[in-house]
Amino acid sequence: MSPSSLDELIEALRCLPGVGPKSAQRMAYHLLQRDQRGAARLGNALLHALEVLRHCARCNSFTEDEVCPRCANPRRDAALLCVVEMPADLAMIEQTQSYNGLYYVLMGRLSPLDGVGPRELRLDKLIARATEEGVREVILATNFTNEGEATAHTVASLLGARGVKVSRLSRGVPVGGELEHTDIGTIGQALIERRAV
Amino acid sequence: MAAAKQRIEQQPAWVLHTYPWRETSLIVEIFAREHGRVALVAKGARRPHSQLRGVLLAFQPLWMDWSGGGEVKTLVRAEWQGGQPLLIGRALICGYYLNELLVRLTAREDPHPRLFDAYAEAVRALGRGEAESPILRRFELALLQELGYEAGLANEGDSGEPVRPEGRYLYIIERGPVRLEALEEEGAALDPAALGEQPLLSGQTLLDMAAGDFSRAETLGQSKQLLRMLINHTLGGQPLQSRRVLKELQEL
Repeated sequence: MSPSSLDELIEALRCLPGVGPKSAQRMAYHLLQRDQRGAARLGNALLHALEVLRHCARCNSFTEDEVCPRCANPRRDAALLCVVEMPADLAMIEQTQSYNGLYYVLMGRLSPLDGVGPRELRLDKLIARATEEGVREVILATNFTNEGEATAHTVASLLGARGVKVSRLSRGVPVGGELEHTDIGTIGQALIERRAV
Repeated sequence: MAAAKQRIEQQPAWVLHTYPWRETSLIVEIFAREHGRVALVAKGARRPHSQLRGVLLAFQPLWMDWSGGGEVKTLVRAEWQGGQPLLIGRALICGYYLNELLVRLTAREDPHPRLFDAYAEAVRALGRGEAESPILRRFELALLQELGYEAGLANEGDSGEPVRPEGRYLYIIERGPVRLEALEEEGAALDPAALGEQPLLSGQTLLDMAAGDFSRAETLGQSKQLLRMLINHTLGGQPLQSRRVLKELQEL
């Protein structure tokens, strides 16, 4: 029989997405046997992060302060607000270096079948942020999945009703893409959403 | 008893719902024409460059191949049939409602080809941007009929006589449409509180519903209440998430 602290560790590791009993056991043995320093670091980092991180009052992303450095940066254009699902999406948009406005991170998406509705997403918080003085345009950059689209539509109608100008990231054939090698769903939708030139 | 291992090919199907499984895979809940609701694992579908990513979307007509004999089969191939725009806006939220009804009310691997056709027609109509209410009512009716609520709408519950267009009816579960006068003769308590959410129906509404005609405003309004009552009854009191989400949205 294994000691209960080992069982507890294995059980705790299973809270990670995609980690079943087998992987959890492997991780636990690895941490305890092969990498005790790494294990201590992981434990401390986790506890520390839990203690100091919170949601930015402006963009809802993780930060250690009341307002994150990005939101507090006076050189960013406060008239633009880009709405994304997750911090990883924000990081991608930052990498483009094509956007100098501010963000709002939903930390999820609307998914009626999973029971994620406006209440779980705290859409009231987004409405409050987007209707603040000085926001000229809200750019919806949620994913192009059905859930992302449902989220975008919902936010658009909520903000539109409050007189906020709302735009949506456009969608179509990827940059440098050849039609021959693009998936037909994308081409089909690009035809439907074609634009005048 | 586990079914024999089988391979299904080129089956018309729709994705109802997906959820992540393991590191890079998806469990896909589908509705297939000849097989009903089936759960498939789509291996590697969450890898960044997976071809399946853009295909395994709800509200898109697909051809699917799968194999396996257990409760969860293995997706072999999924191909887009084409011709269906992505649902947007309110139509999309309505689509979720249809999917939730199918997930909640049909049993796994219980074939429902007629219901499949009704679903396909509903999603296509949503894609064409048609008025949503008649689409939803038609689908709800098809679903209830498929689940065995064949109870005649065009005939009175007790006597079997044809419903009179000018008559006023209550629909009593497991009995069918009953005329108000008949209920009064029975001495049933007809105060509104006792009737609960029982909607008062005109005979014309029942006849329209039986004929699948939702063009009259009164039919649309009364059938909505009746179908909601019947669906709630079939759900056994468990609320629908998509309905709650829609309600919350209207309150914001």
